[in-house]
Amino acid sequence: MFKFDRKFILGASAAAAAALFAAGCAESGDAAAPAGTGAVAAGKSCAVSVASYNDQRSYMNGKKVIDGGVYYPVISNKRGPYYVNTDIDNGGYAYGRTPTANELKAWDTTVTPWHLPPEGEGTVEEGEAVYEAKCVMCHGDFGSGGGGYPALSKGNAYDNVKTLKYQRTTPDHEGPIRVFGNYWPEASTLWWYIKEGMPHPDTRTLTEDEVYSLVAYILNLNEMEIDGVPVDEDYVLDQEKFAKIVMPNKDGFEPNIEGANALDDVRAYYDNPANFGAQKIASADERCMHDCQKPTAKVAPIKIEQKEFLPPLSEVRDLPEVENTAGVDLEAKNTYESSCAVCHGAAGMGAPVFGDKKAWAAVVGKGMDTVYSNAINGVGGMPPKGGTDLPDDKFKAVVDYMISQSK
Amino acid sequence: MREEHSQHDAENVSAERRSFFKKTAALSATAIAGTSLLAGTKAMAEDDPFIMNTPDWGHKIGYPVTKNRYGMPSPYEHNVTRRNAKLLSSGNWQASIAMCPIQDLSGIMTPNGLFFSRCHGGIPTINPNEWRLMIHGLVEKPLVLTLDQLKRYPNVSRIHFVECPANGGPEWRGPQFNSIQFAKGMMSNAEWTGVYIKDILKDLGLKPNARWMLAEGIDSSHMGRTVPVDKVLDDAMIVWGQNGEALRPEQGYPVRLLLPGWEGNLCVKWLGRLEFAEEPFYAKEETAKYTALKPTGKAIQHFYANEVNSIITSPCPEKPWTDLKKGDLVEIEGLAWSGMGTIEGVDISFDGGNNWVEAKLKGLVLPKSWTRFSFLYKYEGKPLILASRARDDAGYIQPTIDQETAVMGVESVYHRNGIATWEVTAEGKVNNVQVRS
Repeated sequence: MFKFDRKFILGASAAAAAALFAAGCAESGDAAAPAGTGAVAAGKSCAVSVASYNDQRSYMNGKKVIDGGVYYPVISNKRGPYYVNTDIDNGGYAYGRTPTANELKAWDTTVTPWHLPPEGEGTVEEGEAVYEAKCVMCHGDFGSGGGGYPALSKGNAYDNVKTLKYQRTTPDHEGPIRVFGNYWPEASTLWWYIKEGMPHPDTRTLTEDEVYSLVAYILNLNEMEIDGVPVDEDYVLDQEKFAKIVMPNKDGFEPNIEGANALDDVRAYYDNPANFGAQKIASADERCMHDCQKPTAKVAPIKIEQKEFLPPLSEVRDLPEVENTAGVDLEAKNTYESSCAVCHGAAGMGAPVFGDKKAWAAVVGKGMDTVYSNAINGVGGMPPKGGTDLPDDKFKAVVDYMISQSK
Repeated sequence: MREEHSQHDAENVSAERRSFFKKTAALSATAIAGTSLLAGTKAMAEDDPFIMNTPDWGHKIGYPVTKNRYGMPSPYEHNVTRRNAKLLSSGNWQASIAMCPIQDLSGIMTPNGLFFSRCHGGIPTINPNEWRLMIHGLVEKPLVLTLDQLKRYPNVSRIHFVECPANGGPEWRGPQFNSIQFAKGMMSNAEWTGVYIKDILKDLGLKPNARWMLAEGIDSSHMGRTVPVDKVLDDAMIVWGQNGEALRPEQGYPVRLLLPGWEGNLCVKWLGRLEFAEEPFYAKEETAKYTALKPTGKAIQHFYANEVNSIITSPCPEKPWTDLKKGDLVEIEGLAWSGMGTIEGVDISFDGGNNWVEAKLKGLVLPKSWTRFSFLYKYEGKPLILASRARDDAGYIQPTIDQETAVMGVESVYHRNGIATWEVTAEGKVNNVQVRS
């Protein structure tokens, strides 16, 4: 839709200056290439006049867009279909302030392979006690899961890595196990998540020692080892040992996201549709329009239908059922709103205002017989029964409603 | 003086009121005699009583403008809501998802009250006055912003979809929900207003070794995700506006990250912290979850963009063709979207994907946004297998279910964009089916 012409881009100096991505063919060296994306690619031809899908899937520095998609440069003050004020991209804003050292420390809760958890220690046994007190109600006995909450173990982590190739192509097939021990690539994730995200109803309440003990307990449930030593009941996990945990499925993920070439590895991965089940065409003409299917193609209907929806699925256009929990006469309320509120709903109409306690106390002070009689026969500016055609008892109920809501 | 004036006014009002009631009483009398609009004419059986008679709303005064200070939909639309299914929830509905009723939407914008909602620790009620954003790590100048300071940055508004990568995920092994809301409702589309992160970074000085950014929420789950700086320096936004008003709590009030076209989960809600680093963060929702396991035993991590996709919204199981008669001209309508670019075209099939014809796009066609497609069809009252197939300007076209599962297997949970099909029965009922070889 927004195919661009690279000659045109060169002509659009504002666009080139505004783009943070160094233009592949621009000479100007001030454009900041995104860090880690490396130097501007050399040899990118600037003579291409009409971009193919391939050209659109590159940044201005010639590198492929990281997700395999399209990059929309700013051309003639437009980015794709949107007009832009390119002055905005020049910076020069001085809002906010520098965080204090303590503020940075308080919020930098990151725990990663390159940023170990703080010092502390805990045993498997201590972890089991914390688990029984704070975790078991959701994660089940020994981390077995249940009730919509994840299992923390399904046995030996090293054995269970094998299950990752399982596919439930029929209900009889066993599926892959994806619990902490056999699936997660890093143990730091577990420490970080427990500290920041658990227990579910009251997070950030566990001490560092408690987190170490819970991690030790979960390692034990997954029958794991650290540096060749099984994590038994009396195992004491501390920062030093934690750093030595190697997860059995560390190499089970793609693309590579570590090291200096990580971003190039990612872009190469998403440049190949075969990696992620996508289909690419060179042009719209290439797509199949007729006799596209194998003769074996057949329609698979729903076998086990999921029907438990909240609220129930309905396309009916009706009025919702009103739950009358306040004990209000809804018929009277309705009459009030459609017939009486015209005058009683606002000051300045001469009528006692709905909800005005003082005004209605004065009305009721005349005695209810008088009030009903006035209402039914009319009083002052008020016509008989407020202009409605209700029977007396129904109209009295409306009066009662108005008084009850003005006490 | 003032009192005199109001006394005078009250008298005037009173006089006007008396005359007003004479008139309304007369009107009421007509109402009692009958609501027919043709006095003295007897309505015939073939006359529509809803045309022949005046309904209540045609003569009784409506409610005042002081009611519903924040507007509400008609009570008759009460069935148009987000919905949940037990299959996709934690036991307490607080780490859960609510699906958008896409069958009931028109155009490309999702009303904020219907926008799909996903959370990992319930929906927090954040005091905007106490909200802070911290940007730190590999920047020369770390920064703390209040909400008012953040909103001082020049803003941009962009229309983008947000889609949970698990949209359609329960159906890798076969259809399970006879409902478009549950089969495809983990997505919505809105106009977002905020600031490009690259515009904030310009003054903070991103260090050359920064390759990744952590975005972390301040809700009780403190959910974090790692974002490559390529996206941060391209179109990543910090947003506070949704369809012209403040973000709804369910969408991250007061502030969320918006990575146009990328997994909804990456668009961290209730945003509080951005940390730049050389190596990725391995947060829980990018390792334990949101990784797509392939039959090779390897899982795709950092699976960013929601790929090109489409669904026919009319007809669908909730909006069948049971009221049509043979020969009726009917619009087949749907939504197409791609997180990798702009929709270029959509094809429609009546035989489950064996033969295709090109549909028309209609309305705004924007990058990484819902796009409407349309096809006029003469209804013949015979069974059909309807399908749609979208393609985008990155050169991607929706795979068949066979093509997709050949690479991804049936256990990958996320990023399912294979061609979806509806079975239309001879009676015009619509069922969710899949075509597989």
